[in-house]
Amino acid sequence: MENSTLISIESLKKHFPTSGGRFTALNGIDLKIGKAEFTGVVGPSGSGKTTLLNIIGSLDSPSEGRAMVLGLSISDLNVKQAALLRRTRLGFIFQSYNLLPVYTVFENVELPLLLLKLNESQRRKMVMDSLEWLGLTDKVKSKPAQLSGGECQRVAIARAMVKRPEIVLADEPTANLDAANSHNILKTMVRLNSEFQTTFIFATHDDKVISYLKRKISLVDGKVEKDEITGN
Amino acid sequence: MKLLFKLAIKNLTGAGLRTWLNVIVLSFSFLIIIWHKGLLNGWDRQARNDMVNWETGTGQFWQSSYDPFDPFSLTDAHSQIPSVFDTLITKGEIAPVLITQGTIYPGGRIQSILIKGISSDQRVLKLPGELFLKSNDDLPVLLGSKMARDNGLKTGDVTTIRWRDVHGTFDANEMKVIGIFDTNVPSVDAGQIWVPLDRLQKMMGMPGEATILVCGNFDTNGRTPEGWKFKSSEELLKTVTDIIKMKSAGGIVLYIILMSLAMLAIFDTQVLSIFRRQKEIGTYIALGMTRSQVVGLFTLEGSLNSVLAALLAAVYGIPLLALQATKGMSFAGTAKSYGLVVADKIFPVYSLGLVATTIILIMLTTTIVSYLPSRRIAKMKPTEALRGKLQ
Repeated sequence: MENSTLISIESLKKHFPTSGGRFTALNGIDLKIGKAEFTGVVGPSGSGKTTLLNIIGSLDSPSEGRAMVLGLSISDLNVKQAALLRRTRLGFIFQSYNLLPVYTVFENVELPLLLLKLNESQRRKMVMDSLEWLGLTDKVKSKPAQLSGGECQRVAIARAMVKRPEIVLADEPTANLDAANSHNILKTMVRLNSEFQTTFIFATHDDKVISYLKRKISLVDGKVEKDEITGN
Repeated sequence: MKLLFKLAIKNLTGAGLRTWLNVIVLSFSFLIIIWHKGLLNGWDRQARNDMVNWETGTGQFWQSSYDPFDPFSLTDAHSQIPSVFDTLITKGEIAPVLITQGTIYPGGRIQSILIKGISSDQRVLKLPGELFLKSNDDLPVLLGSKMARDNGLKTGDVTTIRWRDVHGTFDANEMKVIGIFDTNVPSVDAGQIWVPLDRLQKMMGMPGEATILVCGNFDTNGRTPEGWKFKSSEELLKTVTDIIKMKSAGGIVLYIILMSLAMLAIFDTQVLSIFRRQKEIGTYIALGMTRSQVVGLFTLEGSLNSVLAALLAAVYGIPLLALQATKGMSFAGTAKSYGLVVADKIFPVYSLGLVATTIILIMLTTTIVSYLPSRRIAKMKPTEALRGKLQ
């Protein structure tokens, strides 16, 4: 693996059992993704984008082939090691934000740091820094129900970024947002990508997201159809 | 664990009304179980005290033929009071009682009774024997209030009494009711009259004899005179102990119903939580929690209901229970009429052991009930949970 390569995928296949046999979601994927990339896995519904992201995020495991993430083979990780990887080095952004409704903005962003067992003053500083990057310092005491969709997604980005992960995996992050909010969010992520050299990997079929990508990996029927540098 | 605890508290308080409904129901269970057990404990204590004070003393010597459940044994169940007890009897530490059968005719009706003779200067039992000393009547008798009520007798009434003496010869006389005592112990009241011991001995032709010797607070040192058998306090109180045990066992049905209601609410909440919070479960896992940690979090959330319930129960329960322990609970004219030893008012007794056992029992049950549905989380696929897909 090259020094700057964070993710290395070889002959990756993923099958899911179905009533009639099995469905192949990923069918021999080969990929390398390096540090500070702003990459998107694009394709129509059912092309395997989310499955690929889940495997990279150690939320799922390959059926065949190899997926190395930050030097660790996803297939070989046990439950605790996979949890540790996610806890310390990966960040997630979801289409429907997945904020915890009973927690305030501050508490939602603080949660990953609680899992890292950082002390209170460290946590406070890191949460406030993160909220400042996302322009949410006036919302610290608000609960998700009191926020707009754009604000919720910014909170989700702050939660993903607060522990300064090496890789952020974003699954359809703008699917529930209007155009203005989508652009706002994407600009924020571009800025964080360049400021912190964090690798962003998107699963999307949204043209707005695609327009911000520096690299576009097109999936069709579980295979990489095209892998191109977009020049953004 | 500290983190899980913090998150569980946060989630519980965040759940608002759902949590409080569970907590309120569970706190009722805490309170009612403790109250009911406390009431039985209070009854047990009061019944034992009353039995000791009115009937059993701290133990009894029975004439070897005496069988309280066989009235025919009374013919032979009498012996000379052993001389080794003379001093104790003089001091009032032992109360000899002579028992025989008889018949009275109140208002012209025939009524079989037990005639019991007791010394006027005994201090072992609460029976007001001293009233005999104030009477100049030929055959003064004392009655319990139930006996007096059942037979329409009152102080000053005179009625005929008939008995058979030691030779089996019938004799009769006029007895005069000189006092009516009130007691919670039906077995010294119903169907019996109390007369001076020396008078009964004379009536029966059994001078210096007794059927039982009721002991006060002294150590028998295992001395049992020949022809007599010793019955310990525990043996004598066995009936009341058995009744309380039976009542306690009956109470378990009540506890099971109460606990089932509370546990059903918690079980439902847990199932609903896991169903509704799938995305949250997925998020916890995505953020780096293991599935077993999430199971622990949900189990803790459920079991913390019982902690909050214990706190809530303490807030309104301690004043209520304390008030009841001070004021007592009235049972006037109910169980006593069935022959049970029940005071007009029972004062519940709440021991630390009772409270601790109840809390531990409820917490343990709540934890198990919380854990059962939470196990489903361990089988969830995080990718499906994140999307909130039903599994």
